Amino acid sequence: MDLFHDNPMFQGIRQMMNAFAKQAIRPIAAKHDQEESMPWDLMKQAQAFGMTQTAVIDGRKKLTGVDEDPDPKKPKSQARLSVAASEEMAWGCAGIALALGGSGLACAPVARMGTDEQKEEFRRLLKGVDEKGHIKVAAMALSEPATGSDISGLKTSATRDGDHWIIRGSKQWITNGQSASVYVVWAQTEAAAGRSGVRGFIVARGTPGLVPGKKETKLGIRASETAQVHFEDVRVHKDMMLGVAQAGGQPGGLADTKKMLDSTRPVVGIQAVGIARAAFEYLLERVQGGTVQGTPLASHQHIMFELADMQMEITAARMLAHRAAWMADHHLDNVAEASMAKALGARVAQAVTTRAMVLLGEEALEPSHPVEKWYRDAKIYDIFEGTGQIQRRIIAKHLTGQNPT
Amino acid sequence: MDFRLDDDQQLIVETVRKFSDRDIRGWAAEADRAGAPPERLAHIAGELGFLIDAVPADAGGMLEGSYSHVTRALRGYELGRGCAAIAALLECNVEPALAVAAWGDAKTKQALFASLSSGGFATLYHDSRGALAVDGDRITGKLIAPALAVASYVLVAADGKLILVPTDGMRRDAITPSGWRAARWATATLEGQRGTVLEGGSVEQVLAWARTSLAARAVGVAVAAMEHAASYSKERVQFGQPIGQFEALIRLRDDALTTAAAARMLALHAAWLIDTNDRTAYDTASRARVIAGDCVARATIDAVQIFGGYGFVNDYPVEKLMRDARAFEAVLGDERLGRVLAQKETR
Repeated sequence: MDLFHDNPMFQGIRQMMNAFAKQAIRPIAAKHDQEESMPWDLMKQAQAFGMTQTAVIDGRKKLTGVDEDPDPKKPKSQARLSVAASEEMAWGCAGIALALGGSGLACAPVARMGTDEQKEEFRRLLKGVDEKGHIKVAAMALSEPATGSDISGLKTSATRDGDHWIIRGSKQWITNGQSASVYVVWAQTEAAAGRSGVRGFIVARGTPGLVPGKKETKLGIRASETAQVHFEDVRVHKDMMLGVAQAGGQPGGLADTKKMLDSTRPVVGIQAVGIARAAFEYLLERVQGGTVQGTPLASHQHIMFELADMQMEITAARMLAHRAAWMADHHLDNVAEASMAKALGARVAQAVTTRAMVLLGEEALEPSHPVEKWYRDAKIYDIFEGTGQIQRRIIAKHLTGQNPT
Repeated sequence: MDFRLDDDQQLIVETVRKFSDRDIRGWAAEADRAGAPPERLAHIAGELGFLIDAVPADAGGMLEGSYSHVTRALRGYELGRGCAAIAALLECNVEPALAVAAWGDAKTKQALFASLSSGGFATLYHDSRGALAVDGDRITGKLIAPALAVASYVLVAADGKLILVPTDGMRRDAITPSGWRAARWATATLEGQRGTVLEGGSVEQVLAWARTSLAARAVGVAVAAMEHAASYSKERVQFGQPIGQFEALIRLRDDALTTAAAARMLALHAAWLIDTNDRTAYDTASRARVIAGDCVARATIDAVQIFGGYGFVNDYPVEKLMRDARAFEAVLGDERLGRVLAQKETR
């Protein structure tokens, strides 16, 4: 596959997802932002279209199951397709895009490390509807109040008790934290082992001691639910621990999930690009119709050169995300490129939304203004999934082999 | 040149700083949630001499002699450190009061000062893009301004004129934008609404006052953001050390404070030029607003960055500051655009 050639498959997915974003996401974006509510109806429709909560697992099964590709080194197109689709979804609304994909965070480690039995149990827990009639969703619980960027200090513990593990600790900033029907919680099984002692556990909602905590009121991505989750001596059967007794001796710990970031960071980066593009297009449309002191706004370099800069930066960030994804698909080491794509996307999204608001002038003050929402949505892209500082640390380490402090 | 404050200024700065730290910061989160300032604001502010500080003493106000924009800038900076929305409400009466005192006729003075002295509000709107239709004393078009929902008068700067328009009978819709949420914003749709033209009034002078105050308050918000970030980054430990020890985060704070120091000095300089009737005051005030706008934009985004995931949730004060920052660059219009257009005309 040619990195620079936009083949019909990419064009197709882009068109399809853009139509979905335009028709289904944009019209409800302001409402869910204001209400801080999950787009449950749309999530249900998306599931009916095959964007199921367990699609990640099902998709992975084809790769790792009996029908596995005989040549695992053969290039794939998954990461790039995901990047192409994600730009359009985030262009529609990043919060809704994250709500639609929120379960994927928990599905990914199960897909990667789960046994067939665990995958089956996970799928079972996500079947049907919950007590509110909503489709069931999953949550991945990793971050803790004192453990954000630095996950080596994880406090949540798992202690063996016969055939069970007892999990104790609190999790912070958990997507779907309140509503999830199933959680993948990460806990320290062996304090002395550090990061390699951290294991994931599949825990069903309703398990005694699992207490969803406070839902956060956030600056942006407000259609995606973020909450604390408390684990007060939650008993989990040992068969629900991820990454044990894997044929082929996979390590199965948290370190193993880091590999997934090589494919997910370009996606996070392109979502930020989608937000930037939304703001850029909005501004461009306004400029084309607007005037200042009787002259067309589009006749002014002051405004048009900023739009030109925005287009340059958006295009560059998009290319970088596609390149990092293309490398992942071609099994090339893309650690630095994935971080660059993520960090640049975040920077461009923040800069474009901020400048777009300034150039729009007082119009952007009006309540529920879409560009103001995108300004708020953009900020999280420099924070979650590894802050801008963490990405630069990774890139810098790639340059010298050292972690600068 | 002497940068020292005089005794009166020192007293005002200390008083407002206490008010800001003790009261305004305590009110800010709830005012933001509610989209309204606390009930007791007007009473406490009145006791401290806000709202009628630019109304002449013989007309029921507090002003004796000439108004000091330097003192106002010093005060604005402290108020900005407290809450941008409450600061906007406490400062909104100044431009209408000073403009009417300078250029209003006896009847206009009497009406505005009586309103302000009895607890009323007034506000300023600048038609930065020439979107309003002005025909003599009649205005058609849309206004948006803080305090407009509660104001009895709005001073409209449009078409080279200053027009004081009563809000009585004006079609107003109270709104709560994302920034300065408690500042009692409204939009108003004027259809040939009549006002009183302040004959001989200088739009440039009024804008110089407003921009200087806006710049001072913006710098206050930027510095507040970094005060919060500094204390958080001392407590928050990641990778075995307080995150404030990481050079990248030292840089974010240090760059913000460098720009803030420059922007604050420029705002004070602009205020001093206004106070000394220097004709470069207008240009300096505008430049102060440019740098203060850049400063508050960058500093508040970076403060959220330093707080990380906590910065993004409303349990901590910095996400509000990032929303508030936007209004500083939106009210009175895009400052750089205005500068560019002005320089083209005078080439």
